[in-house]
Amino acid sequence: MKKNVLYSKEEKFFQDKNRIYSAHLIKQIAYSTDSRDFGQVAKSVPCQEACPAKTNIPGYIRCINEKRYGRAYELNRGANILPGVLGRICSRPCELACRHGEPDNGQSVGICHLKRACADLKSPMHRIIEGLYAPTGKIVAVVGSGPAGLAAAHDLAILGHKAVIFETMEMPGGMLMYGIPEFRLPRDLLMLEINNVLRLGVDLKTSQTIGKDFSLQSLQKKYDAVVVATGCMKPRRLGVEGEDFENVFHGLDFMKEINAGKIPHVGKKVVVIGAGFTAVDCARSAIRLGATDVKINIRKTIEYMRIDETEKHEAMVEGIVTHTLVQPSRILGSDKKVSGIEFVRTRLESIDKPPFRISVPIEGSEFIIPCDSVIAALGQTPDVADLSSDLGKMEKENYSTDLDGVFAAGDFVTGASDVICAIAGGRRCAQGVDEYLTGLSRKKKVVRLESHSSTDRPRSYDFIKKVSMNTIDMEGRLQAAINEVETGYGADHAHEESKRCYLCNLKYEIDPLTCIYCSACIDVAPKDCIKMVEVIPINDDGSYGEYQESSKWNRVVSIAIDNHACIRCGQCYAACPMDCISVTKTELVEIDLEE
Amino acid sequence: MPHYDHYVIIGNGPAGNHTAAILRENDGDAKITIISDENIFFYYKPKLTEYIAGGLTKAELMVPGLSFYREKKIRLRLGQKVDKIDPERKIVFLNHMEKIYYTKLVIASGSGARVLPSMRSYADCLKHITTYNQVMEYKEQIQTAGEFFIFGGDLVGFKFIKMLCKMHKQVTLLIYPNAFWPFNLTEKMQEIIVKNLSRQGADVLVNDDISQIIKKEDTYIVKTVKGVEQQVDLVFSFNGLIPSVEFAKGCGLDIDHGILVNETMQTNVPDIYACGSCAQIYNPKINSYTTSIGWANAVVQGKVTAMNLLGTHRVIESVDYKYFDLEGVEIKTTWWEDIEESSFI
Repeated sequence: MKKNVLYSKEEKFFQDKNRIYSAHLIKQIAYSTDSRDFGQVAKSVPCQEACPAKTNIPGYIRCINEKRYGRAYELNRGANILPGVLGRICSRPCELACRHGEPDNGQSVGICHLKRACADLKSPMHRIIEGLYAPTGKIVAVVGSGPAGLAAAHDLAILGHKAVIFETMEMPGGMLMYGIPEFRLPRDLLMLEINNVLRLGVDLKTSQTIGKDFSLQSLQKKYDAVVVATGCMKPRRLGVEGEDFENVFHGLDFMKEINAGKIPHVGKKVVVIGAGFTAVDCARSAIRLGATDVKINIRKTIEYMRIDETEKHEAMVEGIVTHTLVQPSRILGSDKKVSGIEFVRTRLESIDKPPFRISVPIEGSEFIIPCDSVIAALGQTPDVADLSSDLGKMEKENYSTDLDGVFAAGDFVTGASDVICAIAGGRRCAQGVDEYLTGLSRKKKVVRLESHSSTDRPRSYDFIKKVSMNTIDMEGRLQAAINEVETGYGADHAHEESKRCYLCNLKYEIDPLTCIYCSACIDVAPKDCIKMVEVIPINDDGSYGEYQESSKWNRVVSIAIDNHACIRCGQCYAACPMDCISVTKTELVEIDLEE
Repeated sequence: MPHYDHYVIIGNGPAGNHTAAILRENDGDAKITIISDENIFFYYKPKLTEYIAGGLTKAELMVPGLSFYREKKIRLRLGQKVDKIDPERKIVFLNHMEKIYYTKLVIASGSGARVLPSMRSYADCLKHITTYNQVMEYKEQIQTAGEFFIFGGDLVGFKFIKMLCKMHKQVTLLIYPNAFWPFNLTEKMQEIIVKNLSRQGADVLVNDDISQIIKKEDTYIVKTVKGVEQQVDLVFSFNGLIPSVEFAKGCGLDIDHGILVNETMQTNVPDIYACGSCAQIYNPKINSYTTSIGWANAVVQGKVTAMNLLGTHRVIESVDYKYFDLEGVEIKTTWWEDIEESSFI
């Protein structure tokens, strides 16, 4: 009987009206700690590997395909605690790594949009799943309620510790609440996902500032451990003449004002300086404040901007112009009011150590742009002075500091990064705190291997065009500054986009003992992914190295599928006359050590 | 063993072809390859509007015949798309998975139609006149279509509108004064242009914007913000050009809007040059990078690139400014010309 490559195992199961439970329907599942399996997962599932939180991306996309949105949401939540938030504002390292985006394969899958879809489309009665450990009686103070602090508090609560969060602002969320504009991240959604953390018994104390309302030492005395996750809140300054004028804003301060409900006066002509998300957020917010001529000015070229293509596109749609290869030299004005800004043109030059392209000002190339306000969004640094000079060295590996029982996580340790990195850092920090408090390592990562009887997708899915995200029109954007610009995928759109995922977590293997070397698989493979090999080297990380191919039959030891090049089209699986190609579902999972 | 250079030129336009010709004149032994993603020999791109209106034959559109490449021993590879460049190993990767090794690389890939960000969701409804392939796709449709909606306003667009008016087609033009390329229209200029185009039979809309384009069977319904609604046969967008440099991104080349080069057309990567409208050239007089478009500039840049590749130091200079009449408005550019008198080499 010909194998069915189009239906998933569930569909196939339910199509069989006369089904009887028998041994062949029970899947073989194994858990591996072999470095080759870790290496294989890391190399063959590049989206998951690129995600700092190691989200099971093919897993949740498959669930969306099966319209199991709640399960998709929980798979996300298992890695990051804010799927609905991240589905809107993630920096998307996964999409850069997606194999569908490689040359000749089309465009990367809309992973982030799909993440949002599972949050949007899940049932309103959806049940959050948390595997709680028994209470330990330990209490941990977490300073800061941004993504790192929330993630640390969440995981500590799961592990049975009482977590108490101290937040300097009126509302929790840190940069999420005060740094990101509401038109990108609705606050009701943010609060819903924050409340899912607080529901675990996490206490939140707002308007509590370290160094003013309490000290690090006082926390050390009162709590069994302390996690510092205050983020990066100290703006980098321009360092040019005129920076103290009234209409010169620092990016994060500007966003904080807007997000606190204030309306800063920016005038009609606004100059934004900076190349990151905050710069674009400021520029787009200025448009909503009534500015008609907004320019983002960057020292290098557009390709060096630290934002994704969506943000670049939306900024252009809103009429924002990016002015490249310029650097501010002074701000002009009188009576403390800005009237213009002087730039100097730059050119790119190489430096050797580390090899990098830097921008160099061109002497005598000054020019002036008249403007009503300047927003300098050059990034932020941690404000260590607010804490304790005793904090000393911070270990990025186990998140400990020089102070006993004091840990640090998120941007405070790494410098300004992004939300998904902060969440991943917060979770790992919680692991470190737990080990410190209990003396135990309670969880470990393993590779779950499950035999799979179908490819789950036909070849035609490879040619589906990427489903674009719908947005509201310009009129809607200007009607109210908080109107969310992206409207999200509907169920049909999400289903269509989910089909595009190659499901790289399915590993295809040829059994060399049953293979008859007929080459049928090679003939039907659309990519150069099935190879006649004489050696398959193993890298230090356990992954397979570059296959050493041979065209001489006396040297060929096997026909092998290069899972790094394979696009899981299933053609080989369908064509093999000997059924010697197996499909195994590989997943990186966390298990309890004590059980 | 003698060492021969392999000059690989990406682009079959005036910049690429003039680079190739000068290289061959001065280096008889080198291997020269021109790669083009179009399936046509070297042709006069500025004459596409005339060709589309039926005013020119295909033979009249072409620049040299195939004999030129045979005589000059220049390998021409048509219909082959470049995927990426590996400057470390000096390889050009083609879309069909072939690798081409070079010793010196010239990027003269030109530019494509710019689609306004706000119009990207309607990209499938929009037509452009920037390549021969595009023109071939809807040449016949233009002959039979009766009603056209055109928006934007670059110089090629204006030439096209005049052609359509001569063909007695019903044309509606929505002018974007701020997106008028390569400069912004002043109110005075716009007034004169509107008057002249209206006299020729075009219906001109100003101070309005497209709100929606709906495809309905073989026609399109264009709706504007101010409530104009028109059912037309074809919708054209003329909003200038953007350098075609996608394949070069991520390989280490400095790219702004186009590929950044110095006054000798050299990029930041050794042995890679760029010329024509895909290049942004550093101009020390204004301490900034500029893109020079048009046939005449491309020819000069191609020649300068070749001379520098051959080891003769040459610095690029802009061609002379010319004045021309745009519907009653005098425009000064270095690049807009009808190339009636132009010859190849």
